[in-house]
Amino acid sequence: MIRRHLLGLAAAVALPGIALAQQQQPAPPAWAQGRPAEMASSPLAPHAPRLTVTPPDRIPVNSLRVPEGFQVELWAHGLPGARAMTRGPNGTVFVGTRGIGRVYAVRDNGQAREVSTLMSGLDQPSGVAVRDGALFIAAMHRVLRIDNVENNLQNPQPTDLTSAFGQAAEPHHGWKHIAFGPDGRLYIPRGVPCNICEVPEDRFALIESWNPDGSDRRIEARGVRNSVGFDFHPRTGQLWFSNHGRDWAGNNNPSDTLHVSLRRGENHGFPWCAGGFQDPAVEGRLCSEFPPPALILGPHVAPIGTHFYTGTAFPEQYRNALFVALRGSWNRAPLSGFEVIVVREGENGRLVRESFLTGFRDDANQRFSGRPAGLLTMPDGSLLVSDEDNGAIYRVSYRR
Amino acid sequence: MRGAMLPAAALLAAAFSFPAPAQDATRGAAVAEARQCQACHGPQGRSEIPEMPSLAGQQEDFVTMQLILFREGLRRVPAMTEAARGLTDTEAQDLAAYFSSLPSGPKPDRGSPDPALMARGGEVAASRNCNACHLPNFAGRANVPRVNHQREDYLLHTLTEYRDGVRVGADTQMNGLLYGLTDYDLRAVAHFLAHQE
Ligand code: HEC
Ligand code: HEC
Repeated sequence: MIRRHLLGLAAAVALPGIALAQQQQPAPPAWAQGRPAEMASSPLAPHAPRLTVTPPDRIPVNSLRVPEGFQVELWAHGLPGARAMTRGPNGTVFVGTRGIGRVYAVRDNGQAREVSTLMSGLDQPSGVAVRDGALFIAAMHRVLRIDNVENNLQNPQPTDLTSAFGQAAEPHHGWKHIAFGPDGRLYIPRGVPCNICEVPEDRFALIESWNPDGSDRRIEARGVRNSVGFDFHPRTGQLWFSNHGRDWAGNNNPSDTLHVSLRRGENHGFPWCAGGFQDPAVEGRLCSEFPPPALILGPHVAPIGTHFYTGTAFPEQYRNALFVALRGSWNRAPLSGFEVIVVREGENGRLVRESFLTGFRDDANQRFSGRPAGLLTMPDGSLLVSDEDNGAIYRVSYRR
Repeated sequence: MRGAMLPAAALLAAAFSFPAPAQDATRGAAVAEARQCQACHGPQGRSEIPEMPSLAGQQEDFVTMQLILFREGLRRVPAMTEAARGLTDTEAQDLAAYFSSLPSGPKPDRGSPDPALMARGGEVAASRNCNACHLPNFAGRANVPRVNHQREDYLLHTLTEYRDGVRVGADTQMNGLLYGLTDYDLRAVAHFLAHQE
């Protein structure tokens, strides 16, 4: 149960001296639901998305840092909103976006990258995945398939699979990351249509999978507030996913998390529990009832790309390591995230994390110069990292 | 193709210690003239047509974003389709620099505030924290638009479209925020905003 009296109190504090004429208060907006009274006058607001091209001389590649022996370069630019990435069998890199409504295709001619807009005018087409030469695109509640896509880059003819997949239409947290599993099924998460609320448990807070034609829906994980990044362990095939904790519960609560799905359909805690944080806005179930996350990522860091490195060019300790792009916080002062981290198995099987690609966050001035979002291992063993804010893709490689 | 431009661009940036600003209000004025923005949005960007937004003093980032959304066919408004067709990013940014540089002001004939609407509008605005993003004076910032000094009829029109899921923004914030408000609430909050100084 949402504690109505808590919310009522917050509203009353926000309205000193105004007698409320109506008994029934309008529900607070999705982003502010459950906000504690002391945060009611907070000036925090989501950062402006940038929808225009960032000229290459303003892309902060020279201030980015990687560990000893690695190097980072600008691989492609001129793709405003660049987010999730996937690669076709003939080498085209497809890039999804949110606000600008485009899917890009990037071809590497050996010397340089040619960027073209494959699709435009879609509502937040952030999910891209390739199967048997076809590109699957997930926009808000829509699923499209472009057959033989790499031979149709100039004139793509999408097949609309929206009705087969039957996604909920609620826009909030309706954008998604998608991927094919080792079982050949298409995995699609469905976030919650609010900040914190109780939801029909077969409709929201899910990661689901389908046959590629949209048949045979299966619930893979429940109680997942909003996952926009997941991957399958290269050896075990297990589903590893990151999850975004709620806003407006304070600077340090709750943490965003990394999970591994050990039992299909298991509930991972939403709305009651997030990363060990028992949410005071919701009553009913305890954190102890849910499987603990594999790793606590930190408050508001916003994990997007969640990707196992499958190359062999990086040193031994990075083989099958999990890279996570933290797009960075808005609902927190000071800023957190804005970096790519790497998660590896340390001694006695414990997971350890390290910063991998940093330099986006300027702590002294509380500013950021970019927002890492998507990750992709290339056949030569380099790692691509998209920067949603600068519409750019960086390439990280290892110098032997 | 684009990659090949990189070294040259990097050299250029190094050569000028003060890179020219990306956007330019003077160039923007010329684009506005050529595309006749003022025919609809009013001389000096102050609209004289019902349900037509004023652009004077509007936030620069917001104007750029909206022009891109019109150009990409995401915010679908027939009257704006032609005006935004084929705009380059730079033209959009120049137009934004121009319109944001024009002084804004309350509509001269906006009438006197209605006490009941003002009271209800103030309640709605406070309970949904409109001032958090739009700032307490409602002049906006960056991608969050100025909502004072705007025509009341336009505010009501566009708030209704957000609530009903018709207007697509760069994010889903405004759709979620207005969810469940009544027509009267929207009338009241539009009236309230139009009467902010
Ligand atoms: C034929 C009339 C017409 C012309 C010409 C026109 N516009 Fe518009 N514009 C409109 C209408 C109508 C709207 C309101 C759309 C709505 O109802 O949401 C609008 C909305 C806008 C908005 C969004 C404002 C807001 O507050 O949300 C911007 C920015 C804009 N126009 C810029 C321009 C620019 C720049 C030009 C010239 C390049 C231009 N317009 C030319 C009719 C016009
Ligand atoms: C979380 C931040 C946030 C809050 C809170 C917020 N807004 Fe907005 N508002 C925005 C943004 C961002 C836009 C532009 C979105 C877009 O791209 O369409 C906007 C757009 C608008 C517009 C359109 C103006 C124009 O010229 O087209 C109006 C009107 C408006 N808001 C009114 C309100 C009211 C009334 C409230 C309170 C009920 C409110 N806003 C609360 C962020 C916010």
